[in-house]
Amino acid sequence: MAVLVEPVADGPRGTHNVAARATRVLHGVKANDAALSHEPIVVHAGPLNVIACGSVDDGKSTLIGRMLWDADALTTDQRAAIERAARTAAGTPDFSRLVDGLAAEREQGITIDIAWRYFDTPKRRLVIIDSPGHEQYTRNMATGASHADIAILLVDARSGMKVQTRRHAAILDLMGVRHVVLAVNKMDLVDWSESRFRAIEGEFLALADRFGFRDAAAIPVSAVLGDGIARRSKNMVWYAGLPLLDHLHEVSGRQGAEDASGSFRFPVQMVVRAGQDFRGLAGTVTSGAIARGEEVVDVVSGRRTRVRRIVTMGHDLDRAGAGQAVVLQLDTDIDVSRGAVLAAPGAAPVAVRSFAARLVWLSDQPFERGRGYLVRMATDLVPVASLDISRHLDLTTLAERPALTCSANDIAVARIELGRATVVEAFANQRETGSLMLVDAVTGASVAGGVVVETHAAAPKPAGDTFRLTRSLIKHGVGADLGDDAASEEELRRRANEVAILLRGAGVTVELDDRWGHAGFDASSLWFGVMAVLSFGCAAAIAIGLI
Amino acid sequence: MRPARQPPAPRTGDRGLSALLGHLDLLEAESIHIFREATAQFRAPVLLYSIGKDSTVLLHLARKAFFPAKPPFPLLHVDTTWKFRDMIAFRDRTQLELGLNLIVHINKDGIARGINPIEYPPSVYTEVMKTQALRQVLDRYKFDAAFGGARRDEEASRAKERVFSFRSEGHRWDPRKQRPEMWRLLNGRLGPGETVRVFPLSNWTEKDVWRYIAREGLDVVPLYFAAERPTIERNGSLLVLDDDRLPLREGEEVKIQSVRFRTLGCWPLTAAVRSAASDLKSVIEETLSASASERQGRLIDHDDAGGLERKKQEGYF
Ligand SMILES: Nc1nc2c(ncn2[C@@H]2O[C@H](COP(=O)(O)OP(=O)(O)OP(=O)(O)O)[C@@H](O)[C@H]2O)c(=O)[nH]1
Ligand SMILES: [Mg+2]
Repeated sequence: MAVLVEPVADGPRGTHNVAARATRVLHGVKANDAALSHEPIVVHAGPLNVIACGSVDDGKSTLIGRMLWDADALTTDQRAAIERAARTAAGTPDFSRLVDGLAAEREQGITIDIAWRYFDTPKRRLVIIDSPGHEQYTRNMATGASHADIAILLVDARSGMKVQTRRHAAILDLMGVRHVVLAVNKMDLVDWSESRFRAIEGEFLALADRFGFRDAAAIPVSAVLGDGIARRSKNMVWYAGLPLLDHLHEVSGRQGAEDASGSFRFPVQMVVRAGQDFRGLAGTVTSGAIARGEEVVDVVSGRRTRVRRIVTMGHDLDRAGAGQAVVLQLDTDIDVSRGAVLAAPGAAPVAVRSFAARLVWLSDQPFERGRGYLVRMATDLVPVASLDISRHLDLTTLAERPALTCSANDIAVARIELGRATVVEAFANQRETGSLMLVDAVTGASVAGGVVVETHAAAPKPAGDTFRLTRSLIKHGVGADLGDDAASEEELRRRANEVAILLRGAGVTVELDDRWGHAGFDASSLWFGVMAVLSFGCAAAIAIGLI
Repeated sequence: MRPARQPPAPRTGDRGLSALLGHLDLLEAESIHIFREATAQFRAPVLLYSIGKDSTVLLHLARKAFFPAKPPFPLLHVDTTWKFRDMIAFRDRTQLELGLNLIVHINKDGIARGINPIEYPPSVYTEVMKTQALRQVLDRYKFDAAFGGARRDEEASRAKERVFSFRSEGHRWDPRKQRPEMWRLLNGRLGPGETVRVFPLSNWTEKDVWRYIAREGLDVVPLYFAAERPTIERNGSLLVLDDDRLPLREGEEVKIQSVRFRTLGCWPLTAAVRSAASDLKSVIEETLSASASERQGRLIDHDDAGGLERKKQEGYF
């Protein structure tokens, strides 16, 4: 549909009506169906996301840059800029500059954050994500890994697997990335030695087996010289397998044909109202499909109704499948809002409050029992009543060991109790209702990412008394770091509100004592901590920073 | 954790499905999802509408996201007073046609100081008339989130941007401290003094934008199509004279020729390309086979290396 008024047909300054043109110039069909969008590029499903990861300086950015260079995925000005810039020690253009786009990255010669590059192959679009190897930026690699379908794990042929290589492998495993190919890089620096390559390959196959990676393959390459990337290497005739790019094409051709036959899930993003009568639920179908007239259930309340209309701009749909963003109008106006999940009644999950998750800790601030945390899952944001770390993954032995704390870059198992029940499913069955972000309730920071391993039966509800939140409580709890000036006072009030919201979310009735200065309990005393836990559940105590 | 062996990851989630949907359908759905997440999470969002092709797609997606309601936020245009006249006419027509709430902001202080793109270096002009202007208006209306049409494929530092891109007090971007952003989860909880730029078109390429414009039958500013226009050549760039504010230098001569733009901005700072592509089909063909990147047309970007990143750190969009 044309958004604007009819074209001013004459004169070079007139508005060109693109719809009309598309219709005329193309296939004589309606503009909406103009065949342009179906032209060669992607006959095959969606894009394939490929992440490059591995330890610092092993050559990820150089390899990605080299791939773009060899695959002819660059514009003339990008090529010229690389030709002009400083060269590598090997005398080749510095391909890493194609992806290391930040000034700080170029100055220090390391990657800080992930870079996204897009290029189209005859089969489908490849989205290449370059990630940083430096331990300090593991959180950025984890961000990239959560979006990846396939991973290229790099090692330097001189050193083989390092702790950080194994950490990245473990993160790929956690995120559910199953296709991992090992690129053994810098083969030029080990005299193209087959025995060196085989030793590393053996190490990798053991690791792949441990994590259950599929199609595990190792490929010897030299990122700076281009051997084994877009073409076979004359220096390594002993290697009979495919070069890296061909391997990716091969794997990508096999991916994506999977079906959309999961069971229906629809996390509600928001309520859309229009005029007097229209109330619809906006969201994206994350799994399965829904047709007009079919029954749905709001998982948390258990209420059922039918779908009256599936609304999109322009026209209603008869059916919407996973990946589609729509507005559902229901037959009866059940009270459903953001955070709810609609499902098919026959195959609906149950709402739970307790589950086990694997976490990768991303924040520089370690896990602290006394802090308030929230869990973001699908479209819901739920206060955490308690979080207990039980085990860590040891990155040297790849075995687990008991642990109680968790700090930056740790991969751990935790048991999480939520302040109220919501839709939580095992990640292995449902990606979107099985993955979570742990959020710091006060700063809003994303402190950990995780996936649900298993859910547990419901835990008891917190007691129902009224909790009086006073200035003194906040001041001794989450506001302990604040001073006495006006700005601090305002921040204190803001935090008090945060805490109140958090507690209410956990089902505690909260009364915010706004007469600041009026002393409440002595929050610093152990006695109060015990009382808070007994009367109001752990969430209350955690929220005000007592335990 | 029993990390030893996890069952194969499910493919029924956001990706597996997608076999049924086309490439543009998936991009569209992702953008709509982002619009809705941001609107649900932020108190006062605004859409930065800069009139170009990306803004056109952005606005169209915003309308789709909330249909049958109207987008629940105003549009904002930061007017430098040096935009092409065609752009302003297009903006006003769009606003009228769609009945949307449009805020036009000009940095009056900059005008009073006589800052213009002709006598001042592009970096100074951009800082005052765009960056400062944007900060002024975001602060005045206390917007906490601003939608923008930036794409990761535009430029190497943009390629590093998150969908929810956090700015600290003073609207500064710290590329070392970007928030983790995993799966489809967008965490919009703000810390003290923080605001957010939201980029629903993050994963679109220039080609996608044109294909989508064609598919949806969207109108764009006529400057994207080749026509005979008065041009001069300066420092290797082809400028189109939109009015008589640019004094000609010795030896410069106005030449009427067929040109078009790949990207639109302030006219003295935006280079045209020679082209005969006067309709959508030929523009798309030209885009598909283009060997230079679209940012070549933006004179402010190659003011100096790393320029865009620095401008962003200072609060430029
Ligand atoms: N000789 C040789 N040097 C290489 C090869 N690949 C990369 N290098 C060099 O190794 C160094 C690190 O390369 P990068 O591509 O920046 O490494 P990276 O893995 O991206 O590093 P981070 O992103 O910081 O983790 C650079 O000096 C490269 O020129 C290779 O195949 N052979
Ligand atoms: Mg790198």
